[in-house]
Amino acid sequence: MQASNSRSTPALQTGWRLRNLFAAREAGVFIALILMCVFLALTSDAFLSTRNLLNVGRQVSLIGIMAVGMTFVLISGEVDLSVGSTYALSGLVTGMLLVQQWTMIPAIVVGLLIGVGIGMINGVLSTYGKLPSFITTLGMLSIVRGAALLITDGQPVTVNIRQGVLPDVLEQFEFIGQGYLFGQIPMQLVFFIIVAILGGIVLSLTTFGFRVYAVGGGQKAARVSGIRVFSVKVWAFMIMGTFAALAGILSMAFLPSGQAGRTGLGLELDVIAATIVGGASLSGGEGTIPGTILGVLIIGVLRNGLVLLGISPFAQELIIGLVIIIAVAIDKWTANRRAS
Amino acid sequence: MSQPVPIIELHHISKQFPGVLALNDVSMSFLPGEIHAVLGENGAGKSTLMNILAGDLQPDKGEILLDGKPITLASPAVSQHAGIRVVYQELALCMNLSVAENIMLTNAANQTALSLARRGRMQETARAALGRLGMDHINPKTKVGKLSVAQQQLVEIARAISQQVRVLILDEPNSALTNEETTHLFEVIEQLKSKGVTIIYVSHRLEEVLQIADRISVMRDGRYISTMVNDEGVTLDKIINQMVGHAVDHFRRRTSEAAPSQEIALEVEQVASLPALKATSFRVAKGEIIGFAGLPDSGKDELVSAIFGLTPRSGHIRVQGKTIKSGSPTDAIQNGMALIPADRRGSGAFLTMSVENNTVAASLERISRLSFLRSDQIRQTSAQYVQQFDTRISSHQQKLRTLSGGNQQKVVLARGLATQPAILILHEPTRGIDVGAKSEIYSIMQDLAAQAVTIVIVSSELPELIGQCDRILVMFQGEINGEFSGSEATEEAILACAMGQTLPNRTKAVTL
Repeated sequence: MQASNSRSTPALQTGWRLRNLFAAREAGVFIALILMCVFLALTSDAFLSTRNLLNVGRQVSLIGIMAVGMTFVLISGEVDLSVGSTYALSGLVTGMLLVQQWTMIPAIVVGLLIGVGIGMINGVLSTYGKLPSFITTLGMLSIVRGAALLITDGQPVTVNIRQGVLPDVLEQFEFIGQGYLFGQIPMQLVFFIIVAILGGIVLSLTTFGFRVYAVGGGQKAARVSGIRVFSVKVWAFMIMGTFAALAGILSMAFLPSGQAGRTGLGLELDVIAATIVGGASLSGGEGTIPGTILGVLIIGVLRNGLVLLGISPFAQELIIGLVIIIAVAIDKWTANRRAS
Repeated sequence: MSQPVPIIELHHISKQFPGVLALNDVSMSFLPGEIHAVLGENGAGKSTLMNILAGDLQPDKGEILLDGKPITLASPAVSQHAGIRVVYQELALCMNLSVAENIMLTNAANQTALSLARRGRMQETARAALGRLGMDHINPKTKVGKLSVAQQQLVEIARAISQQVRVLILDEPNSALTNEETTHLFEVIEQLKSKGVTIIYVSHRLEEVLQIADRISVMRDGRYISTMVNDEGVTLDKIINQMVGHAVDHFRRRTSEAAPSQEIALEVEQVASLPALKATSFRVAKGEIIGFAGLPDSGKDELVSAIFGLTPRSGHIRVQGKTIKSGSPTDAIQNGMALIPADRRGSGAFLTMSVENNTVAASLERISRLSFLRSDQIRQTSAQYVQQFDTRISSHQQKLRTLSGGNQQKVVLARGLATQPAILILHEPTRGIDVGAKSEIYSIMQDLAAQAVTIVIVSSELPELIGQCDRILVMFQGEINGEFSGSEATEEAILACAMGQTLPNRTKAVTL
């Protein structure tokens, strides 16, 4: 309301207004994040160092990129369980092409197209095919993983000169995975920031984003409003697929190796968890990109904090599970109170 | 007249919701064996009061007495134990269970987990309850999801009366019932009354309330206004006066001078969607208001879906001479049609979205530039219709879920009109909304027709069709069975036609 009289661009008016950022749903997550940071800053010397913070940023980047895509899918009222497998297949294929002396851009484009294709299959089966997306993408989780195992014959793929990668191609490829912008900001984090800004703009400022919310908020009402429900959902799945592929390729560039039996295994759960903690609803219609970023950061900072505090990795998993349930529970309980 | 001890007394009940005082110091009492109608516009607080009696909500202040003793209705179970049963307007049935299973559901809930479901007795009890409602023809083994909405509503009532009941609350019980079914319902209500059951009857159909109620209480803006004994002194005007706080004229009617032009705006030719809708043809002139009447299974609802492209169809539809590809609602909208659906909460409103976003949802091209939303345009469009329709909202960001039915309907109407349609299709436009909003919606419709918008109303409310339309087409078994001009139509004649009687003077134009 404050901005409605101003003459600024639409982007400034609806999008990243402070009011939206602190909308009731995200406020709780934001406060929790601040509390965690304050606690860690007081208990651990290492936490507040630029190096550690940028390190956290890099660690959350790949899940964050995928969580942006997942936000689209969840808001549209669907879910995608196949993202961990897409991540693996796209990364491995790009890696294999580089090993076969492809140059970087074509190899990455093929990897991304695989993600787009998987997203399209997920979307078409879950809409025109009348199958629940839980089932479609559960099936694709297995199919894509199987495809990755078949084409690699279960062998690791390593991107290095000994395997036949062209030296200058290797240098470029390693830069996007391991390099630093301005010598300081990890490239993965740069990609995350770009993806988050793009995703946020599309979701909150464009007619497509509006339609995603409408389709998830009321499928029948969306149809009556002339919105092509199926098409919107297919696009949401394709965006998800693209971002899963991008994350997979960046992972291949970072490590720089992967194995079909291990890479990205169970990643879908981390991605969905971060998105849900950020306020997206599994029943559709709700969620925002700023919320998702907060969700991703909460889980990232938590993991980092647990390491800094020297807590056993086994206990870490347990604590993260608890945080997911508590975060969503607090949100639900306060939402019920708000509604009644 | 000596007053019997009230079965339920409400003392100074208040209930605060965020931003709204839903109930403000309400005191009322209900006597044993009376039919007590509670009336009020949407937002008057009737539903909140009923939810408190049902144990779904707790009052912030005040006291409830049952048989003269204070009681806390802490949960629906407590309320049911006290003999209070509620039949809600929104159906609360399990669609995948049988009629008998649904009727016995509450009983089953009270048994221990390991009780065996005694199917034989279940069927019997169900059959008995259905019989009392004159629904012997429904097989208790039928899945509820396969019944019509009207039948489902009766099943819900059957469920309520299959158990010990002292107070039966009916919240808009017959919004989906035919006249015949309503008659059965009233017989059952009288029967229950004679057994000493108190009936609390919430309805918008004032004529029926006058017909059946012993006493009538009116609420307005969360306050209790008055209780009248329903005798000769009580008239429709008097009740409406109490409800709105000032005398209103009767609804604006279609005037005969408003003769539509000769220009054909909508041509429907041999449109069918089998099996419910057989080949149907009709033409509507620019600025004309045409009505469709018919019983629930007459095919009139399917006609709406077929014309708007919600279901596959055969045949041709032309809007202002231009043929619309049979297909999607998107095509329909792009060719100048807009639909206000009957199922407001399901397919009408985006309940989780804001007033302004609901308003522009069907006209995104108009409020965007290069696919980027223009928030100033969104706000402006929303503000325009809020002002034009006098929609009561606290902010344009308010979620639609929090508005009353009448205000929701105005926003849905705004969404349709924001597409600037040539043809506006209204499906049960005033179902479940209060008298004030109804009157306003009629007024809006007449204004639109005067601005050369062609209006198609499909409705179960005959007075609505007779009052608002130039012509009324009556559907029977998937076909148009007769045509009446607005001036010659009577409820009796339309009803007879809707039940299959052929008219001697059946208009040729209808069959094309």
